[in-house]
Amino acid sequence: MSKKITTYLRENGRRREVTFQVPDDEPRRWGADELLRVVGQPIRRVDALEKVTGRARYTYDIELPGMLYGKILRCPHPRAKVISLDLRPAKKMRGIKAAIAWKEEALFAGEEVAAVAGVTKDIAEDAIHHIRVEYDVLPFVVDQDQAKNSRAPRVREEGNTQGPQIYARGDIQDGFASADLIVEATYTTPVVIHVPLETHGSVAQWNGDELTVWDSTQAVFSVRDALAQAFEMPKSKVRVIKEHTGGAFGSKLWMRDYTVIAAKLARQAGRPVKLMLSREEDFLCTGNRPSSVQQLRVGATRDGTLTALHLRSYGTAGITGGAGCSWPIRGIYRCENVKTEETDVFTNAGPACPFRAPGFVQGSFALESILDELAEKLEMDPLELRKKNYAEVDPVQGLPYSIKALAEEYEVGAKAFDWKRKWQPAHVKKGTSRRGVGLGTAMWFGAGAPPCHVEAVIRSDGSVTISCGTQDIGTATRTIMAQIAAEELGLDVGEIEVDIGDTESELYAPSSGGSQTAATVTPATRVALTNARNQLFEVLASKLGVASESLAIGDHRVLVGDDPSKSLAWADATRHLGRDIIVALGSRAPNPEGFSYRTFGAQFAEVEVDTETGQVQVLKIVSAQDCGRAINPLTVQGQIKGGIVQGLSYALLEERIMDREKGLMLNANLEDYKIAGSLEMPEIDSIIVDATDPIVNNVGAKGIGEPPIIPTAGAIANAVANAIGVRIRDLPLTPDKILMALEQQEKRAG
Amino acid sequence: MDQGQSKRVKRRGMSRRGFLKGLGSGVLASGFWHFGGGDSLLGNDQGERNTSLGPGEVPITLKVNGRSHTVKVEPRMTLIDCLRMKLHLPGTKPVCDRGECGACTVLLDGKSVYSCMMLAMDARGKAITTIEGLSSGDTLHPVQEAFIQHDGLQCGFCTPGQILAVTALLNEHPDPTDEEIRVGLSGNLCRCGAYPHIFEAVQTAAVSIRAQKK
Repeated sequence: MSKKITTYLRENGRRREVTFQVPDDEPRRWGADELLRVVGQPIRRVDALEKVTGRARYTYDIELPGMLYGKILRCPHPRAKVISLDLRPAKKMRGIKAAIAWKEEALFAGEEVAAVAGVTKDIAEDAIHHIRVEYDVLPFVVDQDQAKNSRAPRVREEGNTQGPQIYARGDIQDGFASADLIVEATYTTPVVIHVPLETHGSVAQWNGDELTVWDSTQAVFSVRDALAQAFEMPKSKVRVIKEHTGGAFGSKLWMRDYTVIAAKLARQAGRPVKLMLSREEDFLCTGNRPSSVQQLRVGATRDGTLTALHLRSYGTAGITGGAGCSWPIRGIYRCENVKTEETDVFTNAGPACPFRAPGFVQGSFALESILDELAEKLEMDPLELRKKNYAEVDPVQGLPYSIKALAEEYEVGAKAFDWKRKWQPAHVKKGTSRRGVGLGTAMWFGAGAPPCHVEAVIRSDGSVTISCGTQDIGTATRTIMAQIAAEELGLDVGEIEVDIGDTESELYAPSSGGSQTAATVTPATRVALTNARNQLFEVLASKLGVASESLAIGDHRVLVGDDPSKSLAWADATRHLGRDIIVALGSRAPNPEGFSYRTFGAQFAEVEVDTETGQVQVLKIVSAQDCGRAINPLTVQGQIKGGIVQGLSYALLEERIMDREKGLMLNANLEDYKIAGSLEMPEIDSIIVDATDPIVNNVGAKGIGEPPIIPTAGAIANAVANAIGVRIRDLPLTPDKILMALEQQEKRAG
Repeated sequence: MDQGQSKRVKRRGMSRRGFLKGLGSGVLASGFWHFGGGDSLLGNDQGERNTSLGPGEVPITLKVNGRSHTVKVEPRMTLIDCLRMKLHLPGTKPVCDRGECGACTVLLDGKSVYSCMMLAMDARGKAITTIEGLSSGDTLHPVQEAFIQHDGLQCGFCTPGQILAVTALLNEHPDPTDEEIRVGLSGNLCRCGAYPHIFEAVQTAAVSIRAQKK
């Protein structure tokens, strides 16, 4: 059952009353001005000690008695059929305990053809070289533009393109007709790779007919369920454990072949098998952010109001679909007339996997770029243009936002950046080093949703454990769960034990993707703690002969009525449990209907371009970002700055390079595929704007993992254009492109 | 990339392993092995020409975190593999195996090295410090403490390497400028992007270490 409540929130400096339905049995929502002791504090990460001492166990570190090392033989050709495969020379080698065949056809270079397990890593790697395999190499295509040609080799029987997938609202013909100005341009982005520092891999162990797998994953239940299906076993016989994951960013959201291969090798050998991918393998086949070619057309009236937005895009996600990037155009700014047409192009290359704000990073770069091009033609401040097209209501769903703090974010961000003084219309600047500024807007989801279950245990010695089958991938899930528990029980974070990442609990939590974990798990945690506390109070009430309503939580104490002398220290209170143990469940309730739940942010970038070398140095980035209530500002800052670093890396450094003739990835290593390092770091001023959302869930929090990566590339590209007076529409913004653009600019001028 | 022997590619002549085996067991006990130029490939710390070792496992002694360990390693075994798999010290993390990322950083006589780019044999006679050896009992090293304080980590996989790189940096530059910190850590990648917090941790650790030395 649900009931209607009225409360208020603080949005863009104003107090606003809101009325909505909440479930009856939920704890009272924490409001906008809630006085909280632990939640909202910059608490140190509870697993930081393990990580700084090397005691944290990752999948890569698991060692089991009798464990073997697995290694996969991968097809070196971009398209091939396996004509013959002879495992015997490998099987005969000393130390090799299992060998299996895998795929009979490879659709990209890197697909699994066979695998072995050996007593050492080196023996397994040696054995791979002894497998005799003969391939029939088939025609292939890895270039997306070549693949679109009807005469190109078929990647899929049905053809190399899929779509277009069309979204439309209003009428773009009318929209363009009513425009005073139309700007059209094409923007391109490359395929990029997640590059988690811990590669993908699993450890598999059979115990009779029960399978236990340690996996470097973001999704223990998804992997468990997929394994049960792959082996045609009941789910109850499969257990997936993930204590720590060394980075993921979306590439570890589902079960992969190497996990099944490890389990099959383990079954054949009768011994556990650890199969971790090499860095090169990780580059080839564990996922990517697809490329994009975005043909954008925007119409506006002279005052900057957008009248029409039209996107025609395509990109390649290798052998799968997933190259869509239209969401920013559809959903960030107000525009009545929008049409997006997205096409997938198949190529013989590794399949895509969701990568931190999938689609949004590509789409935002193009959108923010064309808005600056429009602003330039209108001779308008780019920030004013964004504000002019502020969406008061969700442009796609037509629903009111629960809360939207973007106006405040534009204001505080611009002020901290000194935008008014730093922005000047692009003009031909003089000097070798030229500075420029640009901005971009972030919008993401992250409201969380059911199902999710958390268990809270209170023991007679006062110890507390909270459990959930969720994941902490560096995102501080353990810490924020402990903060919720500490808040509800009047304890410190260090006094709460947190157990996560194990399907054996059967306490379902969704995969840690989409920035949904904090907003899904913490409200369920609050419910579990509330239930546990109520149960404790019932026990105490009967033992002490008081009404349970007279009991309350104090600072490491249980308060009894108004008499302080009657209050009990926490451990004295719990001692009344005797032999009994409190075990309480809490489930995530649904989000109230009728609202659009979003987070917002604004990023401002200042760059310096060396016109002789073409190098771009990002000097400063200011971010004003919200995530509803920031449960832990310290770890939220980590996510924001980390997202910005990845966005910068995307703007300036990263691209997968394929050899068109050989169909192979040329830069499958960390030297030739560059990710941002310490020398690329700008000064980052990150402002967390409090946009506590009492509507969305009982904690008022939303996810923060993805929003910060979204606008960074657009802001940097805009800053570069502002610096040198010429626009580069192709990422990454490498020195050669800068120099070429400058040369062309000189030619046009001269 | 690793690939099986395609039938279309003939098996090469004698393998290196076969050649060495063919030299006879006498070579293992005595004899010389050196390449042109007179430099010994398998020198010890006296720089003498050496007996040849391997290709099978041979016993070596390594001094790790203040203690001596005797382990059997194949000569081709890297230091990181030896630390993780023979000495069961998994704190040093493998990421690229090519000296491109710094995650495997350990200290060798106080200087930072990439343990994936070093053979275990070549670490004989040196004082090796891994992340496990940085704290003394329950007392954390100031760099570890600073990383916790400033949240200089997220997933934690690059963290041991970063901490040791910072330790080595502060050994050489006890009062580093921002530029010296950036350059000093430019050999340690962090995909989670914790660099800004790491820089803060370095400054705090520097102050803390200088204060301790007073």
